[in-house]
Amino acid sequence: MRRIVVLPALAIVFTAALMSLAAYSESQWSNHEYDKNLREILGFPSIAIGTNYEGTRNPLLEVFVRSLYDIPGGYDYIVSSSFIDTPMRLVDFRERTPGFNFTAVKG
Amino acid sequence: MIYMIRKHKNLLNYSFDCLKRYRMRTAVILITFLVATTMISAVLFTKDGLEREAELSVDAAPDLTLQYLKGGRIELINSTYVGLVSEIPGVEKVLKRTWGYAGIGQYTFVVVGLDPDGLGYSRGVITSLEEGRFLTPEDEGTGNIVIGKLLAHMLNVRVGDDIILLSESVETNKFHVVGLFSDTSSIYTADMIVMSLSDANKFFSMPEGHYTDLCVYVSPTQDPVSVASKMNSIPNLRILDQDLLLRGYKAAYGARGGIFTTLWTILLVAIALIAFSQAIVVGHESQFEVGLLKTFGFSTLDIIEVRLVESLVLGFFATSLGMLLGFSYAAFLNAPGLVDILLGWAYLPREFRLPVYVSLQSVFSIYAVTVIPLLITTVVPAWLNAITDPELAMRRAAA
Repeated sequence: MRRIVVLPALAIVFTAALMSLAAYSESQWSNHEYDKNLREILGFPSIAIGTNYEGTRNPLLEVFVRSLYDIPGGYDYIVSSSFIDTPMRLVDFRERTPGFNFTAVKG
Repeated sequence: MIYMIRKHKNLLNYSFDCLKRYRMRTAVILITFLVATTMISAVLFTKDGLEREAELSVDAAPDLTLQYLKGGRIELINSTYVGLVSEIPGVEKVLKRTWGYAGIGQYTFVVVGLDPDGLGYSRGVITSLEEGRFLTPEDEGTGNIVIGKLLAHMLNVRVGDDIILLSESVETNKFHVVGLFSDTSSIYTADMIVMSLSDANKFFSMPEGHYTDLCVYVSPTQDPVSVASKMNSIPNLRILDQDLLLRGYKAAYGARGGIFTTLWTILLVAIALIAFSQAIVVGHESQFEVGLLKTFGFSTLDIIEVRLVESLVLGFFATSLGMLLGFSYAAFLNAPGLVDILLGWAYLPREFRLPVYVSLQSVFSIYAVTVIPLLITTVVPAWLNAITDPELAMRRAAA
């Protein structure tokens, strides 16, 4: 093989390999149902990461960092870390979390 | 026809030869694109994997999770709520659950107490065990536990061993290990100690008749959201449905990955500018060459084709290799350095690997932000060179 075609040939090989990997990954994840029974019986929506931080496994709200948890008035699920989004901006929190929507209704 | 094929073949060969001739430009573009795509793909593939894992867990979660809210904070829920909720039409089953955290060494473990009714209610056989068995309703109050790999490795315990855990109320609690979760389930179970409800209540010194939360299973013929809406009048109740959980987890992982992606997109723009600058420099050097080619009969389109092929080869080579390296970095090495951005204050137990999902959507997104800018930043200067009068181009280059 002439040396000038090595780079183009490798480009084709790498792209084909990547596409194969992506196709394999797609099919693997689409049929991915391992531990379904276990997950059903335990019912935790999160995975086993982040357990140095006490709120990790608590459904939903404590995913949002409890950075001011121990500070009086620092509602753990209202205050978020700068790393992640602010629950205030999420419609779900405003509209669907009981006790969260403090909107006054005049009437 | 044969003439056209031969012409394009010659143009291709000429493009490949240019890649070799302009070594510096080729090397600069390859290295910068390789580094950028490796990092961005490692983050995107990991983010996609975490999102898919969250989806799988949420799919298997109870239809509704109920918590007791007092003063905007989550507190223990009283068992009287089991009766209140069970009476609501459409509710098939309400299970009590007590769970919390136990610090052992430098790690925090999740202690889960399962309702004996729920153990009998399992919809399938638990196969995620490496050794021993899962809990049964008969294990209620016996101190039998099933543990994850993280704890098993840390305490060097196996099935049949007894362990003593110190609770937060400074009481010793003896447990007997009857099962060990397998490696394949570690992403879900690495940090878990599963026991019966009464054992967990005793471990956490829970007040009589109080639990952490309630898991509600809705009849398959009913819509969980409409069943949840019937619970709105029950005081102090916070209702979480699967959809809400999924949106929350996606928002968290997506936002974290998004910040990183934004930073790397800025970097990619900088890299595109480097490529542009290289194309300008080399373009200046190749002005004479372009003038000569045009004198020999190359058209403007031929010259653009040459540069286009060069960019495509460089772009696909660097981006595809970068993504393969990014996948290996995340899947086999657990993305050291980058994983902290996605996990925040969390840590990743060595007992399991990061979930990595190479989605076609992410692959094409990365191609879009790398190959297309590269094409634009190299083809435009080539076009500018090609439309210059050949004689003038050669005179300028010689000057």
